[in-house]
Amino acid sequence: MSALVADRLSHWFGSEPALDSVDLAVDRGDHVAILGENGAGKTTLLRILATAMRPSSGKLEIMGLDALRERRRLRGRIGYLAHAPGLYPALTAAENLAFFCDLRGADRERVPEMLDLAGLSEVARKRASELSRGMQQRLAIARAVLHDPLLLILDEPDASLDAEGSELLVRVMKDRTTVLATHDQALATRLCQRTVVLRKGRVLGAGSRLRVVQ
Amino acid sequence: MSEWRTRELVPALAQFVVLALVIANFGFQIDSRNASAIAPGVLWLALVFAGLIAFGRAFAAEREQATLEAMLMTGAPASAIFAGKALAAGLLLVVCEAVGLLFGVDVSAGLVGAVLLATIGMAALGCLFAAMVAQLRARELLLPLLTLPLWIPFIVAGGQAVQSAMGGSGAFDQAVKLLLDFDILFVVLTSLAARFVLDD
Repeated sequence: MSALVADRLSHWFGSEPALDSVDLAVDRGDHVAILGENGAGKTTLLRILATAMRPSSGKLEIMGLDALRERRRLRGRIGYLAHAPGLYPALTAAENLAFFCDLRGADRERVPEMLDLAGLSEVARKRASELSRGMQQRLAIARAVLHDPLLLILDEPDASLDAEGSELLVRVMKDRTTVLATHDQALATRLCQRTVVLRKGRVLGAGSRLRVVQ
Repeated sequence: MSEWRTRELVPALAQFVVLALVIANFGFQIDSRNASAIAPGVLWLALVFAGLIAFGRAFAAEREQATLEAMLMTGAPASAIFAGKALAAGLLLVVCEAVGLLFGVDVSAGLVGAVLLATIGMAALGCLFAAMVAQLRARELLLPLLTLPLWIPFIVAGGQAVQSAMGGSGAFDQAVKLLLDFDILFVVLTSLAARFVLDD
């Protein structure tokens, strides 16, 4: 059963097309990597899939719901890691997670669990601004799975992550449908069963990891 | 909480209000005879410009840190996020008002009530426009251009109420009722518009 079906998604910034008739179907439990060079439209596609922005045209169905109409409902089931970590620099790591727990109506008891998952228990009381970029990224990943989402949308999750951080990705993606964008082909082939290559907003190719690498 | 930790805005705003009042005091030669006529205008001018700074920062910081999108992605209603931001920015303005009112003005319940009533509507409008212009490069210029015309009713009615509370002429009750009407109108309108401004 499909977790996500995108039908001819297009988006323009002014007269410039960022996405051009992109079709994408992701089955439940699938891990799909979106590959492409800078400006290929990866972030735009992921923002649309995460319901953070509306496409100029096309249809999007997520978990059987019309994603353009049921955005708020779907956001409770989607975990989204944006390009920027989006943390409050003056709040500690634990406070950042607690704040988003409150916004999601999730139990604050999830905070220590998530900090442990991200390997950040020791820096829980450090302000986000005092954390390294890699730690901030791990904190943002922990926040994305705070509410135990069914679908994960990750925009360059490997940015600034060390080997331990990459293992965190494996853990959070386990048993979750995931669409991630990356420049790193090796990471894409390691984490995902399928890859989609974007170029100038169009799908250049899609298939199993072996075929795309070839 | 962020503002409490960093103390970026409150001391600067309070200082701004005090300086504006001191300069106005020297400029207008305010004394006990003319205080009730001039002081309300001076107070409102100081609060209006302090408000523009406070509301401008309210959403600019969220956009810069990309935390606004993170908040919206939680599924929390945009109107609730907007209300929270407006409340926080309104509280900052209340601190400025407290500084301004304690600065050589005879504080009465009527005076405080009138200023607080005006703050509610001004905060709602100021935050809406701050959210609209937050992503633009010319936001510092656009925010006053959009906000000030719609703040005029609050300044007129608030000025009248404050003047009356300070012993000057004018109908206090009528001005307060007008402020209340404006508050209801703009709080409802901005709450409805918040979804389109923040999330679309």
